[in-house]
Amino acid sequence: MKVSDMRRNNRRRDNCIGLLVATALVACPLAASAQAELNLPILVPITGFLSLEGTSQRNGALLAIKNAPSSVKITAEVTDTGSSPEGAVTALERSLSRGKVSAVAASMLGTQMLAMLPVALENKVPLATVSGTADITEKNNPYVFRFFPGDAVAKGAHVRYVLEELKKKRVALVYQTTAYGQSGRKHIVELLKKSGIEPVMEEALDVAVKDMSAVIGKVQAARPDVIMLHLHGGPSALFIKQAGAAKVNLPIVAGSGMSQPTTVALMEPAELKGLCAETNAAPVAGGSPQMDKFLAQYRAEFKSEPDGFAVGQYDATSMIIDVVAKGAKTPEDIRKALSGGSFKGLAMTYKSDGKGNMAHSAVIICYDGKTRMPKIVKRYD
Amino acid sequence: MNAVVRSVMGWSRSGIRPLFILGIILLALWPTLMTSAYQMRIFTIVGIYALLSLGYQFIFGHAGALSLTQGTFFGVGAYVTGILSVRYGLGGEFTVLLSIALPLALAALIAAPVLRLESHYFALATLGVGQVMLLVAISWQDLTGGANGLSGIPGLTLFGLEFGKGYGIMAVVWVCVAMGAFVSWRITRGLYGAALVISRENRIAALSIGIDTAQLRYAMFLLSAMFAGLAGALYAHTIRVVSPEALEFAIMVACLTITVVGGRTHIAGAILGAILIVNLPEWFRAMEKYYLIAYGIALLAMIVAAPYGLIGLLEQWRAKLLPEKPPAMPPAEPFIFVRAARSAAGPLLEIRDVHKHFGGLKALNGISLMVAPGQIFGLIGPNGSGKTTMLNVITGIYRADSGSVYLDGTDIHNKRSFVIAQSGIARTFQNINLVEEMSVLDNVAVARYGFDNAGLVQTFAAGRIDPAWKRARSNAMYVLEGLGVATVAQSAAGSLAYGLKRKVEIARALALEPRLLLLDEPAAGLNEGEQLDLADRLRAFARGGLAILVIEHNMPFLMPLAERMACLDYGDLIAEGTPAEIRANPLVIEAYLGTPEEKRA
Repeated sequence: MKVSDMRRNNRRRDNCIGLLVATALVACPLAASAQAELNLPILVPITGFLSLEGTSQRNGALLAIKNAPSSVKITAEVTDTGSSPEGAVTALERSLSRGKVSAVAASMLGTQMLAMLPVALENKVPLATVSGTADITEKNNPYVFRFFPGDAVAKGAHVRYVLEELKKKRVALVYQTTAYGQSGRKHIVELLKKSGIEPVMEEALDVAVKDMSAVIGKVQAARPDVIMLHLHGGPSALFIKQAGAAKVNLPIVAGSGMSQPTTVALMEPAELKGLCAETNAAPVAGGSPQMDKFLAQYRAEFKSEPDGFAVGQYDATSMIIDVVAKGAKTPEDIRKALSGGSFKGLAMTYKSDGKGNMAHSAVIICYDGKTRMPKIVKRYD
Repeated sequence: MNAVVRSVMGWSRSGIRPLFILGIILLALWPTLMTSAYQMRIFTIVGIYALLSLGYQFIFGHAGALSLTQGTFFGVGAYVTGILSVRYGLGGEFTVLLSIALPLALAALIAAPVLRLESHYFALATLGVGQVMLLVAISWQDLTGGANGLSGIPGLTLFGLEFGKGYGIMAVVWVCVAMGAFVSWRITRGLYGAALVISRENRIAALSIGIDTAQLRYAMFLLSAMFAGLAGALYAHTIRVVSPEALEFAIMVACLTITVVGGRTHIAGAILGAILIVNLPEWFRAMEKYYLIAYGIALLAMIVAAPYGLIGLLEQWRAKLLPEKPPAMPPAEPFIFVRAARSAAGPLLEIRDVHKHFGGLKALNGISLMVAPGQIFGLIGPNGSGKTTMLNVITGIYRADSGSVYLDGTDIHNKRSFVIAQSGIARTFQNINLVEEMSVLDNVAVARYGFDNAGLVQTFAAGRIDPAWKRARSNAMYVLEGLGVATVAQSAAGSLAYGLKRKVEIARALALEPRLLLLDEPAAGLNEGEQLDLADRLRAFARGGLAILVIEHNMPFLMPLAERMACLDYGDLIAEGTPAEIRANPLVIEAYLGTPEEKRA
């Protein structure tokens, strides 16, 4: 090789290195600035009577953050909201005071959501929740997104399964005196009425009631052919146990409380025989490679079983991360993306109905009495 | 002018007032350092809870009744605001007023059955009221929104001015706190305040000096409800949602904790307690799910370190580190503390055929006695013979099963204790009933409650210093001088020797300007010289027209003192006559006095 050629080659090499260095110098800041940022406070009840459900929300959100693409830099602080509206609003104000908040993983407790809504609207910050309380998406607040079937969807599935699959007509309805119970009861009664059916008996139970013998007696006296429960997890388990002990030989279709592994763990497999319940998803039943992966990861990370709320909050958080990764920079961008886009999550495909209701599917799960593992027997989309 | 300045300077230096003034300055400066809505909201919530606790101090602190309805009144106030503003679109002028009025009406309604209960029964009954209201809120869905509650409550507007958020609502809340503190101070000071103290610490003693303790309790209960209703209204306008959580026991627990931690009767305690209890969980937030453990430990530490509240602890430190000179003693203001009988002709006290049974035990079995004006009457008998029961029947603490009691010709049987005391019967107790923490002077001065327009309204309307209290203390000084115990006027009653306490109790009874004085073992704990001195003074009072009925086991004290005597045994009157007749009566000797041989044996 000639000297001139060598020089030319060296010059080319130097030029290439220079170009590479220059490209690197330019590209590095560009790459750094290209990493999207997401500040997502997790404001959920991890103490109080909804601590189990709130912890599921927390775990679901944290797992989604762990699985986020590296292109999104996420800040997420968990704050306990307790179970009072005041606690939720204070937690939200606190998060808003500590930096620019992109969106919030918000409490599943309806009264807390109702209190947070005006603050979210004032500060233009989207709230992503798994609250089932119908009211929260009826306030014309564009900043709320529900990743869990609302009562209209969940109770629709609940009633349809009873009427269409079990072909029952004499319904005994036992519900809770809480917001969850009253809202669900309203939808169940309306949906039954549309089919020309009046419940043969209705009874509201306080969450503190432990002795179910009186209500079981009333149920038996009304001679129903099916029992519909719309109770929280613990009271559902108590009712079913005591109904079994009282030899009540009627099919029971329960609310989503009975789909939670923590509730199911309170009962022997034999006590669950023939029991069905509505829910958004039954992660412990698996059903898809993605769900199986989620289940394994959740168990490894939190040493507990996931429930529908964990899946719902996982999907909600994943959708927010997804829209940020795709370019949503501001809370307003995120809100628009959540309002207009759709997202295939673990439980279902989410899309807003214009009011912030993202989940439009529900499933019915049943137990065979041999294990605590439910099977999805019907899906309503 | 200089005198006023000196007076204000003196006031501001006493007790923990320098710290209190510093606290007010810091509180006033705090908002200027706020940079976020979060800080403003926390400060607003602190004010709301301080107001709630200020109200709770009336019934729990000043009246000493463990009411568990304060949270309920708060919730009712919040619901009234929620319903009126959401369903009827009313402004703050109406929502706030009606939020005060409805809890007030509810308190007035439930007071009659609930307030007559004592201690834990009262607490349980008030808890029951709370549960009923919670059920109503959950079940009456059309009105209250059921378990979801009512949302969309607008920010506070008053006469067209908006105080919806930030500095606006914060200023309104803290103005209410300042006004509440002013009302609390004006009502709980002076003679009315002293009546509250003795009613709380020793109800029987309060009744015995003519204080209607039930009426005081009632007033405190209503005031507490009004404050809670106002706090509830402000809460609803701040949080913008009202749900059954506002009526749940957690609010009551927070209120109770604030009041206990801060101090049950100190205005500053309500504010300091609210600052701590609202902020502590926020300060521990970084500990995530363990923050409640830290919060609990901090609370426990505060309660152990300051059982009388943080303000009580500060007062103790101040007294220990910078002891103050006792305030100057008031000048003695003479008054005629022996009321003569209206009619000198008949008996002043007449007891006719009084029976009193406790189950199967006959405590008084058809007792009839008469005491004349200016007479010293001795009542003796073995332990359990019915002497103290007799005094309790006369003073209305016990109601006789049958029979009558006349004072100056008026039937006082079945009248309430405080009414009997007001009609001129004063007493002392076998077991001394003084308020130990109060000074001797104040223990006696409070007996002037019925004489000097010392009602709630009068106390509130009085100037910086309550003139009724000033006069009462001067009168008390005069009585203490009359009994030779003025030198201990500034001492705490609890610090006195037993005999001195007896004299102070007699002084308190005399401050009531009685016509009849009932003394239960007045010589107990006195040495011979003191007994002679007391006997001389009692004789002097009797010469002024005062009738005195003395229960005593000390015969060398009683026999020379009494003009007539009676002896009870197992509820029966076994003898009545002059001391010489009683001494010689074989039934009395057998039942009580014994023979000289028996005494020697």
